Amino acid sequence: MNAILQDNSAEVREKPPVQAAYFVRGKLVAGDEVVHRSRDLGIDFAAPKIDLNAVIQPRAELPPMLDVPIAEIIDFLVETGERLDLDRNAYLQEALELVVETNPLPRRIVENLYRGARLYMSREFLEASIAANFAEPAALDGWIERTDAHGQKGAIRAFPPRILHMLAGNSPSGCVNSIAQGALVKAVNLFKMPSSDPFTTVAVLRTMADIDPEHPVVHSMSAVYWRGGDERIERTLYRPQYFDKIAAWGGGDAINNVIRYLGPGLELVSFNPKTSISMIGSEAFEADAPVDEIAERAASDATIFNQDACVASRFVYVEGDREGIERFCAKLAERLPVDRDTASIKAPLMPGNVREEIEMLEMTDECRLWGRPDGSGMVILTDEPVSFHPTGKTVNVVHLATLDDAIRYVNVATQTIGVYPDARKAVLRDRCASAGGQRVVRLGSARAHLLGNPHDAMYPLQRFVHWMSDEAI
Amino acid sequence: MATATKLGSATEKLTSLIGDKTRYDIAHEDLLATQIEAADEIFQDRLSRIRLLQNRAESGSVAAIRSLEDIVPVLFAHTTYKSYPETWLTEQRWDRLGKWLDTVSANRVAGVDLEGIGDFDQWLERLEAVGHFVSCSSGTTGKSAMMNATRGDLQFGSHDTATSVAWTTRVEPSHDRRVFALAPVARIPRNDAVKRALTGAYALPGVPLWDLPVPPITVGRITGMVALRKRIADGTAQPEDIARYEAESASRQAAIDSAVVVAAEQMVAARKDKMLIIGMWTALHKIAELVRAMGYSAKDFSPDNMIYVGGGLKGATLPVNYREYIYETFNIQAQRIHNFYGMQELNTTFPKCSAGRYHSAPWLIPLLLDDSGDNLIAPKKGEQEGRAAFFDLSLEGRWNGVISGDKIVIDYGPCTCGAHSPSIADTVTRYSDLAGGDKISCSGTIDAYVRGVA
Repeated sequence: MNAILQDNSAEVREKPPVQAAYFVRGKLVAGDEVVHRSRDLGIDFAAPKIDLNAVIQPRAELPPMLDVPIAEIIDFLVETGERLDLDRNAYLQEALELVVETNPLPRRIVENLYRGARLYMSREFLEASIAANFAEPAALDGWIERTDAHGQKGAIRAFPPRILHMLAGNSPSGCVNSIAQGALVKAVNLFKMPSSDPFTTVAVLRTMADIDPEHPVVHSMSAVYWRGGDERIERTLYRPQYFDKIAAWGGGDAINNVIRYLGPGLELVSFNPKTSISMIGSEAFEADAPVDEIAERAASDATIFNQDACVASRFVYVEGDREGIERFCAKLAERLPVDRDTASIKAPLMPGNVREEIEMLEMTDECRLWGRPDGSGMVILTDEPVSFHPTGKTVNVVHLATLDDAIRYVNVATQTIGVYPDARKAVLRDRCASAGGQRVVRLGSARAHLLGNPHDAMYPLQRFVHWMSDEAI
Repeated sequence: MATATKLGSATEKLTSLIGDKTRYDIAHEDLLATQIEAADEIFQDRLSRIRLLQNRAESGSVAAIRSLEDIVPVLFAHTTYKSYPETWLTEQRWDRLGKWLDTVSANRVAGVDLEGIGDFDQWLERLEAVGHFVSCSSGTTGKSAMMNATRGDLQFGSHDTATSVAWTTRVEPSHDRRVFALAPVARIPRNDAVKRALTGAYALPGVPLWDLPVPPITVGRITGMVALRKRIADGTAQPEDIARYEAESASRQAAIDSAVVVAAEQMVAARKDKMLIIGMWTALHKIAELVRAMGYSAKDFSPDNMIYVGGGLKGATLPVNYREYIYETFNIQAQRIHNFYGMQELNTTFPKCSAGRYHSAPWLIPLLLDDSGDNLIAPKKGEQEGRAAFFDLSLEGRWNGVISGDKIVIDYGPCTCGAHSPSIADTVTRYSDLAGGDKISCSGTIDAYVRGVA
């Protein structure tokens, strides 16, 4: 029972540290001067000392990509994407071996994520991003003339920004998206890698450098690691003189550390910490409903990255026939311990205090349970949402009188709302938006994305650029 | 309703040592057999009475306690006492909360009058009326733990405090001094009982305890803050609610600020009398500064003054020498300082000896576990590090065995101070503080969107 108290923090492992290299403005930097410890698994890794002067580009110098046409940048990214083939790319293969040491995701899921990451550098994805973010993409390549209602003339340019990207640790492939975003706005980029994966970003950048080590895209990229909250580095670098934007994935301490340094000229573009939910109408619980399919769709949404992703559903709000709902819960519990592209049969154990809280709910007859608290997946049926944050493939099915009552559980942290049947989306979406939600999808489609769609209720590329204006008045 | 310990039992043999001035001098090996016998007596008695213990005993296949190893599977994690759904508290579902409390209590939580309860403090009062003295930890951002105790537990605990103070300070209860309580601590039965016990043991006849004149921080107020936080997260808190709460907090801080001035004046006025000062570091340091600013220091106070001080700094930043500064201000000699290690989960504290180590009472079985809390590290002479767990044989209101969140270094052999009981080094850290704050993930909770409320 007491495995519940597992803490990753304290144990010192006697093992020669693995090595993480940096990539600084086009050049690989090796070294082992500093030993860090990964957050999730407590694995030590050695990394070079950071040369702070090298990771910023003085504002007196123009950004390297400024005069490179966006079409050429997209071509370069597409070629990079083609080379991000795990079967042939030695850098990715090497990174994979290291990531599985420091990241809690199982090896096979990391492999699948690597294979899926190329999408972020596909031509359709890149072109759709540009088209959705910029009414006039030509503003990325030069000055666009415009005339106002009074006939006054001027010009604008989507000028390349200097971006500090704080990468998320839960998905080793997320860096590919961030690198593509940074390149699409021609930014000067510094990537702060997460301790659970200080390897993949460098592997992707080395792949780029192999295409053309002198390419302006390559010269605009740096990737290093420091421990989040390290004041010596953050107090030094987080200044508008060095960066325009901090693009941050995550929340909690990671964001609180950053917020202290924000001010005029240094803006946060936050890909916020989110949770996702599902809403299932009474149609699903009628006797002739395709309960197997509905349970599979709900399970597929709940298990993304073993439920360690913003898009993974944790609460399933339901209405309708109790018996049908219990039948659904049983089916759902069967579909949770299933090997998937981004989920394994067993997820990491939920924290001990959560297991205790579930045990107490059961002892006080406040819930019905299906599955086991061993990481293979659990379904908890209650009449109101549980007080804890379900993790490790734990789904709280909440039986409400009507889905209208579920709106009160949508808030500013709610990202994706998977809905069944599809027709209910249109009925619910305005109220979901008003409550703070950001995305409604068909149940089972949480992981799919429409090309060029907003992320976290914004168009990030448009926010990244420095909108410079030249006014002829 | 309290389970009086049977005379002649192993448990009684050990708990009756509370009257023995040499209680910290008994070696681990001389106590072990009796401690195990007592643990089994208690286990057999509680098995049918604490529902969660039944679960633990079944899943751990423990039918009897014959060794220290047998205790490990049936220990409760300290988090057990916060395993209630938080919404039951914030939405004032007293019936459900009572049902939960019942599963972690030795005596039935029944017959509680739930009519017209307005807040959490009133619920606690109703519980007290039927013999349940619930102490709560005071986490303002996290959940409060709730630990049930009997009146007998409170009496035993305060008796333990008073006698252990006599052990460390070598000052017998002498009714010869003024007692100042200078910590703005939460008002819970346990804290109140300790103050009463120390006053009873040391205060001049007819001179009441001088308590910091601030409105009491009740657990209800603390849980009110937790409830507000929840409503902010849900988006149901109105801006005026938040503004009112912030204003109350500000006025409370102002009350504390003026109370410490009054405290400093009172202490200066009473400086010719011997004192027992009960306090926590932050407030004591502030009062010491004020006393010095008024022109008084060690030379003006009695060299026989005693201090009972514990707790951490709770996030406050004080000068490195804050302890010495306080001791020097009030002329407190080294042998008159009572420091201790303890936790709300236990009824017994560990007084700090002259060698700077915390000693274990004979009715308390210290267990050292590995970091995971799964496995026992066998007791031995010499220092060993791990997760602290305890079996407090004196407890009657709830289960006696608990795994703490503390990382400790313990030595089961004799201490350089001369006492033979197991002792814990002055290096206790919390596992939760060891975890890094470096995790970045796109998955998160609404908590990240809630700015702290005072």
